[in-house]
Amino acid sequence: MGIEIKLFATLAKYLPENGDDYPIEEGETIRSIVEKLDIPVEDISLMFVNSCRSNLETELKDKDRVGIFPPVGGG
Amino acid sequence: MSSDMVDAIRGKAEPAELPTGNPGLVINLNHIASIALAHGVPGWKVERDALKNGIIPKRYLRSMDSITSKDQLKLLDSTIAQVGLGGLGGTLLEILLRTGIGRIRTADGDSFEESNLNRQALSTVHSLGMNKATTAIDRAAEINPSIEYEAITQFLDATSLPAFVQGADLVIDALGGLETRLTLQRSAAEANIPMVTGALAGWTGYVGVVQPGQTGPADIMGSDNAAEELLGCPAPSVSLFASLMACEAIKILTGHPSSLESSMLIVDLRSHTFEKVQL
Repeated sequence: MGIEIKLFATLAKYLPENGDDYPIEEGETIRSIVEKLDIPVEDISLMFVNSCRSNLETELKDKDRVGIFPPVGGG
Repeated sequence: MSSDMVDAIRGKAEPAELPTGNPGLVINLNHIASIALAHGVPGWKVERDALKNGIIPKRYLRSMDSITSKDQLKLLDSTIAQVGLGGLGGTLLEILLRTGIGRIRTADGDSFEESNLNRQALSTVHSLGMNKATTAIDRAAEINPSIEYEAITQFLDATSLPAFVQGADLVIDALGGLETRLTLQRSAAEANIPMVTGALAGWTGYVGVVQPGQTGPADIMGSDNAAEELLGCPAPSVSLFASLMACEAIKILTGHPSSLESSMLIVDLRSHTFEKVQL
């Protein structure tokens, strides 16, 4: 099983090389991915899976597209 | 509509080939200005009455038919209250003036500094040290003197925002930083006015439309400005997000549904991501 991970703005530095097809196991959640990638939870403002707003406990399945976004407010 | 004014407009209309290839009637900006002066009304009212009589102000010819005469009438008869005249706000003001929004009210208490020159449309080597809203008055008159443009040279807060948004058809959040965005969203909601919002950091950003009472980006973004402080605000991103915001503003004011209500369009220019996320 694999997912696509997109990390935005200041979080881009945590993106693994295999972010296009990142292997996951049964029962994995956004939280478990965030922990594996060492992304500080406090730096996250918005999470989405297949374009739907999600949360840390959202369970992931094969081929999911996961986006993680930090606070952004510049103009 | 005063019949004297309509007679004056008809008297100055000239035949022209329209972008459709069909013959039509147009009127130029000098005639619009002199009719406005003679009748003691702002130029947008002359343009509105011209359009109602099938006469197209030349300055709007090349917006058509993406913006139809009917749409243009609605835009001329609209009021926008925009907070912020920095990166997003400067480019937005430029677009909104050219698009022909009849009344534009803006506020910014900040002054231009050298680090604004990379992206802020209103900043020039001549405007450094000057208040952003004051600078915008001259620019507005240069671009489109038919627009009733009002500039407030202050930073707005929870106390002053309700009066600022009062009577507007649309609020635009062109603030820099996250501190005041939620307060602005609440002020717009309390006044029952839709709001267009947008922000960026580096090559990443978002645009959203918030109808009164809906969840907006400000509800989830918090108040930490670290991302844009670290990644900056490069000109291509600023121009793009200002354009996306202006498109949504035009849709809302002309009564076309915006598909970004209660959503965020998330854009990343490095990875070419355009993704709409339902909030």
